[in-house]
Parts: sequence; C-alpha cells; structure tokens
Amino acid sequence: MNLIDIRNLSIELTTGTKPIFAVDRVNLTMKEGEVRGLVGESGSGKSLLAQAIVGVLDDKWRVDADRFHWRGNDLMRLSPAERKAIISKDVAMIFQEPMACLDPTTTIGEQLEEAVDVEQLTGFFWQKRQQRKQAAINLLHKVGIKKHEVCVKSYPHQLTDALCQRVMIAMALARRPILLIADEPTAAMESTNQGQIFRLLASLNQLKNMSILLISHDLENVTHWTNTITVMYSGQFVEAGTTEQIFNQPYHPYTRALVDSSPKANRLIPNKSRLMTLPGSIPILQHLPIGCRLGPRCPRAQQKCVHAPKIKNFHGHQVSCHFPLKDSYS
Amino acid sequence: MLIFTLRRFNLFVFTMLLLTILSFSLSFLFPGDQLVNLTGQVNASPEQLAILSDKYQQNTNIVSQYFSYLTHLFHGEMGYSMTSHLPIATEILNRLPATIELTSVALLVAMFVGIPMGFCAAIYHRKVPDNLILTFAMIGYSIPIFWLGILAILVFSIQLGWLPSAGQISLLFEIEYVTGLQLIDILLSDSEYKWQAFQDATRHLILPVIVVALAPATIFVRLARSAMLEVLDTHYIKAANAKGLTFSQIIYRHAMRNAIIKVIRDVGLQFANLITIAMVTEVIFSWPGIGRWLIESIYQRDYTAIQGGLIVLSSFIFIVHIVTDFVYAALNPLAREPQHGA
Repeated sequence: MNLIDIRNLSIELTTGTKPIFAVDRVNLTMKEGEVRGLVGESGSGKSLLAQAIVGVLDDKWRVDADRFHWRGNDLMRLSPAERKAIISKDVAMIFQEPMACLDPTTTIGEQLEEAVDVEQLTGFFWQKRQQRKQAAINLLHKVGIKKHEVCVKSYPHQLTDALCQRVMIAMALARRPILLIADEPTAAMESTNQGQIFRLLASLNQLKNMSILLISHDLENVTHWTNTITVMYSGQFVEAGTTEQIFNQPYHPYTRALVDSSPKANRLIPNKSRLMTLPGSIPILQHLPIGCRLGPRCPRAQQKCVHAPKIKNFHGHQVSCHFPLKDSYS
Repeated sequence: MLIFTLRRFNLFVFTMLLLTILSFSLSFLFPGDQLVNLTGQVNASPEQLAILSDKYQQNTNIVSQYFSYLTHLFHGEMGYSMTSHLPIATEILNRLPATIELTSVALLVAMFVGIPMGFCAAIYHRKVPDNLILTFAMIGYSIPIFWLGILAILVFSIQLGWLPSAGQISLLFEIEYVTGLQLIDILLSDSEYKWQAFQDATRHLILPVIVVALAPATIFVRLARSAMLEVLDTHYIKAANAKGLTFSQIIYRHAMRNAIIKVIRDVGLQFANLITIAMVTEVIFSWPGIGRWLIESIYQRDYTAIQGGLIVLSSFIFIVHIVTDFVYAALNPLAREPQHGA
C-alpha cells in the first residue's frame, strides 16, 4: 500500500483578479521506507507542496486535489481538524532555516519537551514531567548531540545552524513520524555539516524504516541519498522515477537539461567546454505560460505544447511531456 | 548582563547631565534676576542676597556656578517656591507620590486592557472582533483628554452620582503620611475605618485613571496587534504548527511571549505621553499631584518651581524607561547578549 498518494494536487493563490495556480496538478506517491527526492528550481512550488501536505499554508492559499490518500485514508473527505490530527501524528517536517523555525525566547529543552507526544507518557503529572525531560534528552542523543545539559538550557541563538537543524530533526522525531518531510534541510550550511545531516537522515531511514521526502534544488546532491526522485518545474509535474532512471536516462527535456547542467553529474563533457543551459529563466507567477510551462524554453517544443501533456508511464518511470526523449536512448 | 546594566546607568547619568544643564540655563532665560530665579528668594534683603550669591559662587565663572548648582541639587536644595515660600523639595515630595500613584495605576490598567485586546484583534485578524477593537482604538485615540475628563465628571459624578469628581480621598478620613502613596498608607494605617477609607480612595481613583489610561491603552492595542500579527507570520509559529501543537498552545507558549517583548519595548516611550495626559487630568480632577502643581506654577510664573518640577518629572519618566528596559531584557534572551546590549 502506498504511504501517500497524491493525484492532481493544485495550490491556488487567491488574488483579487484571477486565481493563480502556483502548483498545477502535481502527482506524488511514496511507499513505506522510501527516500524520495523532490527536485526543482527555486520557485517551482516544491516547498508549497510540502507545506500543503503538512497543512501549514496560510489562508491565502487554496489546496485542491483529485486524490489525497494517506495510508489508504482519503484526507480530502475529512475536516481540517481531523486531517491535522492524522497528519501531525504521522508526518513531521523540518524547514529550510532552522534558526528561524525555533522560538527565540524559549529554551531548546522546553521546545523539545512540548513536542513529545502525550501518549508516550504514563503515570501522574509529576512523573510525566520527568519523563518529558528524559524523552527530550533521549531525542537529543538520537540526533547525535552528546552535550545535552548545555543544549537543553540554551536558546536558539546560542547554537550553530547545524545544531539547530539537529534540534529540529529531534523535534520532528519526537512524535515518531512515519514520514519526514525535509525542506532543503542543509540550505545555508557548510558541506561538512551537510554531510552529517544527510547521514543522520539516511540512518534514520534505515534503522527506523522512516520514509523521507527530501526537497532540494540540487539534483546532483540528492542522488546520493534517494531511491526515487520527482522533478518539478514552475509548479508542474515533470518527471518521476528511480534515481537511476532520472539520472541516467531522463525522458523529459527539462530533466535532461538539469542533468547536463551539472559538471559532476555528467562526466562525459570535455574540460573547459560550456555547460548546457536552457535559454530564459523560470516564469514569474503573474505570467505563467499556458499548457506545458516549460514550453517557451523547451528545445523540443512544438505547437502541441500549448496543451498540458498527459502523464505517460513507462514501467514506473512517469513523464509529463508530449515528446519524451525515450527513443533517443536505445 | 553587567554590561547591560552599566550601559543603562551610563545613559541615565548623561541624560541627567543634559537635563540639569537645561534647567540651569532656564534660570538665565527666565525674566528677572538669575540668582532669584535659581533660589526663589523674592523678598530677600541685599545682605541675604550677598550670602546667597556667595553660596552659589556667583562671582566665579559659569562652570563652577553650574557645579555649585549641582551640589545644591544633590543635597535636595532646589530653592524656595516664589508663591508659597516653601522649599521646592518639600512641595515636590508632598505631591509626587499622588502622581506616581495615578500614573502607575493608569499604566498598569492601560497595559492589562490594551495588550490582551490587541492580541485578540490579531488572532481574529480581519474578522468582526478585530474591526470592533480597531474602531474602539481609533475613537479612544482621537478623543481629546480635557473634553473626555469633563464629560466623565458630567456623566458619572454629576448626572449619575456614582463616583466622586475631585480630590484623592474624602476629607472625612484622616490618613497618616508614611510613604505618600495613598492606597499603601491606608493599608498601613491602624484606623478602624481603614476599609471604608480604602474604598473611598479607590472610588476617587477610578475616573482619573480611566481618563489617563484611555489613550495609552489604544496605543497598546495597536502595538500589540501589529506585534502579534508579525509573530504569527514567522517561521517558528509555522514550525510549531507542523509540530502538532494546537492553536491555543501556539498562542500561549510561543506567540504571546514574543509579541509581549515587542510591546514592552515601547511602554517606556508611551510613559512620557502618559505623564503629559496625567498632568491635564490632574487639573481637571483636582488631583493633588505634581502635574497640577506644575501647571499652576506656570500660571503664577513660579520659575523656581518650574525648574524643580521639570527635573523631578523627567527623571521619573527616565527611571520608568530604564525599568521597562530591564523587564525587556528579562523577557528577551537576545537582549541580554553583550552584542545586543545597546
């Protein structure tokens, strides 16, 4: 059974004149224990999608989906309160800027303690207090923070970014989630710290069978850590498949360009040659092209592309393009 | 924290220095003889004036004159009132407690009413409660104080007869002077009509406090509302939401503390405003405070009193300012860091 199954999810920005589809009919499925990468440029709607899954979007966004199943439950039929109860029990999210996501006036310990689920505690309230403290310390140990006495007493501004991110992960683990959504967990971090955070996530996946949705703008970086990848462009679904499929045989022109633009990913290119890029830049929300949003930049675009393409499935490798590159690899 | 305290103290010393320079220069700028303005000895004989001139080092240069003025100030000698011929220090000591009582109660009322209302408005952003509270804030802020005070007396004292219109306490009660703060003195006294006196003093306090507190409360409403909206929009509230906390948990544990910090910063600033309002209100309600005394001194051209009142009132405002700074630092861990100590 799929852990999460989203079909045609749209996120609409309600403005005065006409609604803007910031995310336009995106599909996402995840199995249990899977690490899926969600890749796209900044502004491609990947963070929005993640926040829509967790349900923390503001009132100005409207979420709509043909299917939104969580372990077989249809979440679209539930009221927002029921949906929040289910989601906050099983799904946790860590955000881009860990420092900004911790309350600056509350100590780390207090913030960790309040994340601990009540159901894990037993006994009277004074016993629960003690258990909460212990649970917070255990969580810190779990994410590799050994000096828990210092950490529990400090305020977020006294810790480094990487430590804050570890605390955020600890907080996310407090409810023992089945799915962890990591929204660019290593943005603005040094590469050594990046490695530590990714290794921590990978070990959690292996030891606890926790599924992870890893959101990143950096295709090359996530390939080391993911089983499957979904690519988005400008709020539209582009391509999904296993990491090998996406990386070695991308069917969509956009993914092809993404892979080619990375020097390490594509070792075939000679030294000092120009990297492949697509002309133009990602369209702004006010002026989105009709049909396939890559159309104006796509090297393979034809007249048909003014209509949004249907998703084609080649043995689990899904691609949303009228003219996929499938035949060019035989 | 030590650096923080030292910086505040430093600021206090320098501001007082400037204030005393201003007050000293006023004695030159006011019409009449400078020595008379400074001491308030209007009917002194030439011999007495000679002694005074010696005491205030009138024959030396202006800097040592200023320092001799400072020395007198530190000894609590602010001269004599030109009208009542009493020492200014005694006059102020008799009146300042009443003002402290009125303004501190009004400040507390303004904070405890205004800040929760502002939070409420922010939580129900762009809904009916928000609009109602904003309307109230707009109206309350626009009403002139002198008009509101007279209206309050007309309605509640004269027409309805619920509350007394003037003074601090009914003349029937005799309260021993201990601290000068009427309510505390009543509680300390061993009179058998203690509770009646307390009730009476509270009834006297209600109308002036409401009049003084109204405008600051409306400012607090708006400050608290915008602070809360700002906080509710931050990442850590979103993260707390994703953590699975309920809305009320988020408000009570995270949003309120962060929003209050932003408001506390401005309380000290608003206090100066509140003192001005209190001065006008004291005149309307015949409150025996320093504000009314100062305004009367201005009418009577009592230059010595004006100088003394200026110094005392401004240092009072300044002390409240520093106290709010310390409360701010106690609430906000970021402000306690040395690099944010400014």
